[in-house]
Amino acid sequence: MSLPIIDLPSARPWPPRVSAFTKPFWDALMEGRLITTRGKRSGRLTFPPKPFCPHDWGREVEWVELSGRGKLYAQTVIHAAPAAFAGEVPIRNGIVDLNEGLRVAARIVGEPALDTAVECVVLRYSDGPLFGFRAIET
Amino acid sequence: MTRRVAVIGGAASPIGKLQTAADAPLQALEHEILAPLVIDAMATAGLPKEEVGALVFAMCRPYTLQKYFATFMANCLRLPLTGTIMEVLGNGMTGGMAFDVAVNTVALGQADVALALGINMESQVASADHAMSTMRATGDVDFHTIFGFTPIAWYAMDAVRYMHEFGAARAQLASVAVKDRRHARLNPIAQFRKPLSLEEVLAARPIVEPLGLYEVPPRGDGAVCLVVCREGVAKATGRPYALVRGRGFSHEGAHQISEVPSDMTAFVAAQGAAAAAYRAAGIAPADLDLAELYAPCSIVQVLAGEALGLTPRGRGAAQAAAGETSLGGRIPICTSGGCLSRGHPAYVTGLLTIYELWEQLTHRAGERQVRNARLAAGSCELGNYNAALIHILEAVA
Repeated sequence: MSLPIIDLPSARPWPPRVSAFTKPFWDALMEGRLITTRGKRSGRLTFPPKPFCPHDWGREVEWVELSGRGKLYAQTVIHAAPAAFAGEVPIRNGIVDLNEGLRVAARIVGEPALDTAVECVVLRYSDGPLFGFRAIET
Repeated sequence: MTRRVAVIGGAASPIGKLQTAADAPLQALEHEILAPLVIDAMATAGLPKEEVGALVFAMCRPYTLQKYFATFMANCLRLPLTGTIMEVLGNGMTGGMAFDVAVNTVALGQADVALALGINMESQVASADHAMSTMRATGDVDFHTIFGFTPIAWYAMDAVRYMHEFGAARAQLASVAVKDRRHARLNPIAQFRKPLSLEEVLAARPIVEPLGLYEVPPRGDGAVCLVVCREGVAKATGRPYALVRGRGFSHEGAHQISEVPSDMTAFVAAQGAAAAAYRAAGIAPADLDLAELYAPCSIVQVLAGEALGLTPRGRGAAQAAAGETSLGGRIPICTSGGCLSRGHPAYVTGLLTIYELWEQLTHRAGERQVRNARLAAGSCELGNYNAALIHILEAVA
């Protein structure tokens, strides 16, 4: 399943560091997939992805693909932003509860109301991806 | 075996712009501001300098040039010590932790008198530049900071969720800032003392929606010194003091956001810390005469007040608007004017909290005195109240 992709002409204002472990996450996102890790013993998902399970400290994890769908739990519009983000103001960010039972924070695209069903979109900047959520069109 | 501990003295600078521009010919130096406060605080305690056995500092902001500030100050004040000396850091909890460690040092018998103190200088650093540092203090640098979240952006999301779930009115939330300003007008150290109307709060330029300029923390500097001692030492001075009756701490094991969906606006760490503090003190929230809450935004004061059981869940904003948390109301909250108007030099805010409680419980609070104040609570926090540290103090005269 491939997520919708929105191409953006600029570079990310403050790009994430990528480790050998998190590289699969960012590579998958670039291809339109939202993935994270699940503890093999606990069976529980975690986000951000981690090389162990924070719930039971199991050392074995596996990558799983997420639906990218959920509900908007909270949001804000940031007008006073750190210097690096001056070019993106105003910034709408929010918190989404994914259908898989994970809570994530991300950019919000459009102006969905709280508790609206939302879907993940890949924000493909010139230097790499971020992710956001927007209302699912009905 | 631990000993009972009292707050016997204190002194604070005016809160506001103390820091000088980098190119100013005459500079404001941290030790020249803080050292006189140490002398003032010890004078209020009525104790000689030789009694001091420990110094616990809130860490300075990175903008303070002098490193190893604690031992530098021990030299500056010529204070040999047998208890401990350190600088502590815990984001917004920093000042509260400095107080907590000073109390523990005395409770454990490592010192009879300990100073909890600090100075926070940052006002000359532009907000957008300061935010380049603070944005890395909340959430995950590689998975949250990348979107441009700032510390107060998380509180703003609390406000949106709270209004959505409980139907709190925007104006009710804004009334917290008006109330805090009324309190600050009676506080000589407050950063903002001009009248502020509800209309002005609602019309302010947006900072993190729905919160505008007057509902987010002002930038400012400040310095404070508290004198903490064994209760026997306090008694021997013959002066009124504030006894530490209870202490509670809780951290929910989450940094800004829990990946396991939870009730974000419940502030569960504050609930847990408050329950522990009330249990230790043997009191219920209804026994409190006032509370000084660490609340950088209007919404935070509402949510923390609810988590401490001062107002019912979902009713905190409405009760603030109704005057229940004002001076003269059922349970006055942030009689100092709080972070919003007293000011928020963040690393010493937790110390300013105890300073206000000490002033109130020793009946030094002047026009903002809570009549017959006997029991008071102070809180501090970090993240989105992911951790909370709460102290209960009692007046002893």
